[in-house]
Amino acid sequence: MKAGLYPKLALEGILKNKRTYFPYVLTCVGMVAMYYIIGFLRYSYAVANLPGSETVSLILSFGSWVIAFFSLILLFYTNSFLIRCRKKEFGLYNILGMGKASIGKILFFETLIVAVFSLLAGLGIGIALSKLAELGLLNIMHGSVNYAFTLSPKVLKMTALIFGVIFFLLFLSSIWQIRFTGAIALLRSRDMGEKPPKANWIFGVLGALILAVAYFLAVTIRDPLTALALFFAAVLMVIVATYLLFISGSVFFCRILQKNKKYYYKTNHFISVSSMVFRMKRNGAGLASVCILSTMVLVMLSSTSSLYFGSESVIHSRYPRDINMESHMVSTEALSDENIHALYDEILSVVKKHNVTPKNFYHYRSVLIAGLIEGNRVETDVSKLNNFDTDTLSNICQFYFIPLSDYNRIMGTNETLADGEAMIYAFRRAYREDTLCFNDGQSFKIKKQLDKFIKDTDPEALTASITVIVPDLAKSVKELDTLADYNGDKMTEAVWTFEFDTGVQPEQQVQLYKELRETLRTSEMYEKYHMTSLQCESLELERNSFYSLYGGLFYLGITLSIVFVFAAVLIIYYKQISEGYEDQARFDIMKKVGLTRREIKKSINSQLLTVFFLPLVFSACHLLFAFPIIRKLLTLFGLDNVGVFATATVVSFAIFALFYTAVYRITSNAYYHIVSDTK
Amino acid sequence: MSILDVYGLKKIYSSRFGGDRVTALRNVTFHVEKGEYVAIMGESGSGKTTLLNILAAFDRPTNGSVILDGNDLSKIRDSAAAAFRRNNLGFVFQEFNLLDTFTLKDNIYLPLVLAGRPHREMKDKLLKIAAKLNISELLEKYPYEVSGGQKQRAAVARAVITDPKLILADEPTGALDSRATDELLTLFKEINAQGQTILMVTHSIKAASAANRVLFIKDGEVFHQIYRGNDGNEQLYEKISDTLTMLATGGEKSEK
Repeated sequence: MKAGLYPKLALEGILKNKRTYFPYVLTCVGMVAMYYIIGFLRYSYAVANLPGSETVSLILSFGSWVIAFFSLILLFYTNSFLIRCRKKEFGLYNILGMGKASIGKILFFETLIVAVFSLLAGLGIGIALSKLAELGLLNIMHGSVNYAFTLSPKVLKMTALIFGVIFFLLFLSSIWQIRFTGAIALLRSRDMGEKPPKANWIFGVLGALILAVAYFLAVTIRDPLTALALFFAAVLMVIVATYLLFISGSVFFCRILQKNKKYYYKTNHFISVSSMVFRMKRNGAGLASVCILSTMVLVMLSSTSSLYFGSESVIHSRYPRDINMESHMVSTEALSDENIHALYDEILSVVKKHNVTPKNFYHYRSVLIAGLIEGNRVETDVSKLNNFDTDTLSNICQFYFIPLSDYNRIMGTNETLADGEAMIYAFRRAYREDTLCFNDGQSFKIKKQLDKFIKDTDPEALTASITVIVPDLAKSVKELDTLADYNGDKMTEAVWTFEFDTGVQPEQQVQLYKELRETLRTSEMYEKYHMTSLQCESLELERNSFYSLYGGLFYLGITLSIVFVFAAVLIIYYKQISEGYEDQARFDIMKKVGLTRREIKKSINSQLLTVFFLPLVFSACHLLFAFPIIRKLLTLFGLDNVGVFATATVVSFAIFALFYTAVYRITSNAYYHIVSDTK
Repeated sequence: MSILDVYGLKKIYSSRFGGDRVTALRNVTFHVEKGEYVAIMGESGSGKTTLLNILAAFDRPTNGSVILDGNDLSKIRDSAAAAFRRNNLGFVFQEFNLLDTFTLKDNIYLPLVLAGRPHREMKDKLLKIAAKLNISELLEKYPYEVSGGQKQRAAVARAVITDPKLILADEPTGALDSRATDELLTLFKEINAQGQTILMVTHSIKAASAANRVLFIKDGEVFHQIYRGNDGNEQLYEKISDTLTMLATGGEKSEK
């Protein structure tokens, strides 16, 4: 045979089957492009410059694996349809005397042509769009825009490798299907329904179990750091469980519907249920993919948008006033009234120079120490920590000792405490004991649990904290002051916090902030007021960096969402188109037997409604259970506002549901046109 | 009493821009009495399929009328045509046209489900018909799991389950081997004996010789007809064969 025969037959095979090959190649190109874009962003310097870039990079690397995984599923799904359509053709070749080996060669060249074309086109589109995506990101982050066209050879190689493997697997699976089917069976294979998978119920039960465990994990996780560690595990479990449940569940569900004679033998249900049974496995896999993609989109949109729109609330809890100062003292003694007053006057003199009168200001002294808490005992002595359960991070707690006089002043209260008594305010953990005992020595009787303090200590801190209001600060921390850590440094830290609003324009606020830093952060000042350091933060200045971080994340969330939505739409579209062509002949027969156009429309709607909204319902369910764990994760980014996140979740879901319905409308129209257009 | 009246049927196909005009039916007139078993014969291209499509309300005639049990088919709107078909007609096709997504049972139920009949009624009807057609054992199987003859019997069951006024059969034996053909023809005979009117389009002499009357169509017109009278199948077979020979030779002469 001539050398060029097989490539020629392969090319002809593709061109002759344009109708089925077109959506397949479109899918391939789309997935390659998406994979490249995600990979590009992952290594992009724009992302590397994002504050919190480690997390973003982690998310993106996870995202690129997800895309690779979905490409595999999606392309197998589309390819199996393609092979199904072409079995008749190959059967004919086989009967006419072409060996299976030769058919294999044709398949090889077909796969090669599609692979090369998809990689070239996909990478081309990916390269073009990735620059666009990067520019958008830089713009939002106010980064310096660099219009140079950059390529990422690493990602190019990676994309080619991943998709090379996928195409090779596709080729193997096609060969496998052709190899083990007889010529006659090949000819007739299109008419055969799918056999339900064996041991179906085992898959179902397994899926339900895995899902239950994942849900349980998501709901019961307490602290954010564990949440981060378990989040990806939970996501993987949910993905596996969704596939198992959808594949076995759809078979089970259809069987039940079929058994119910009263339901089944109705015009609408009769046709829809039977065609669902006919392609139950593909249905299950396709729907599960749509469900998972939808869930991911919803999770990304709700979390990143809540960060973005919750920025104000994050900023205000992190920076309660326009100017926030914290001076760290050499020792607890440096918190003496004289020293603090002198420092206070020093600051006010700078402020006055700018014609600013501090408003809403408050200041208080505090001594903080970290310790492990167990029951009512707290251990802060590093040499004795072995006796404590250090396995879980949730035992770590930060303690803030604040004198009663400062508390009464800033809160405008008139509380009294006897010697040895204390009031506590617990943040991010509950404390229900009557006493609080440090290192089996200093013990406090809890007189009152406070439900608020002027400031939630440090909202960015991940650990829990307990603020202890004591009648005499120096006396209370006397013992703790003697403790040293492994390096010999003091364990306690004495801090004076001073925060105030300015009532002037942002530019003036920033000017004041700069002046304060210049004047006060000098070694003379440090020595004069016994400080080790002085932090000064301006809300206005921080607002910008917050918005660029959260804006960047939000943008990435939207980009990833678009990519995932595109993948979901491709699946839906492909499902509709391929099933449309399959069902065309069936609806033709039914029309002959007496199915009216109206009934066709009704039965299509009934089928699509069942099939389409199942993934949406499931992803809503996933989202509901993911809510607690994502909420915990958001605290890592400083967002501790449930209201904002809940609103963002509901709004994201509403927008997505609308979009989903639109996709449903459009694709079901495409399906209807294919099915009703018979001649 | 006549159940189907076909008057002066004419069908001209023209290409979309009114170019070539092909006359498929010139002038077809015939009547079918209730309980009759009529075969329509003709060579390929004689207009058989066009006639059947018009009788089944798939297509509309250019001229003339078809009246089924008092209903003028040309007066039926397109949207009502499907409902009309399932209420009045039963179909048996050459390619069976069974749906591969359904078991044989569900295939047979299809027209009743479309008509919205209750399940109990469907079940009663099916049990009787399935026993008669000898397919009771096959009801849970899918079309790709049974033979051609079995498929065609299921298709017949689907056609008769609605008690149609008329069964239209389009080359029903075309895809069957000789044994399955014999079985099907016997089946048609039995159904006809119970009063079912059947109109069959075929070019198989064997199939036609099972009918009680044979109409011959040539060049879009009813050319000739033969009544069985008291003839047995073999005698009718001979007569049909002779007629076809005559048609073929005469046809050659008439062509210029």
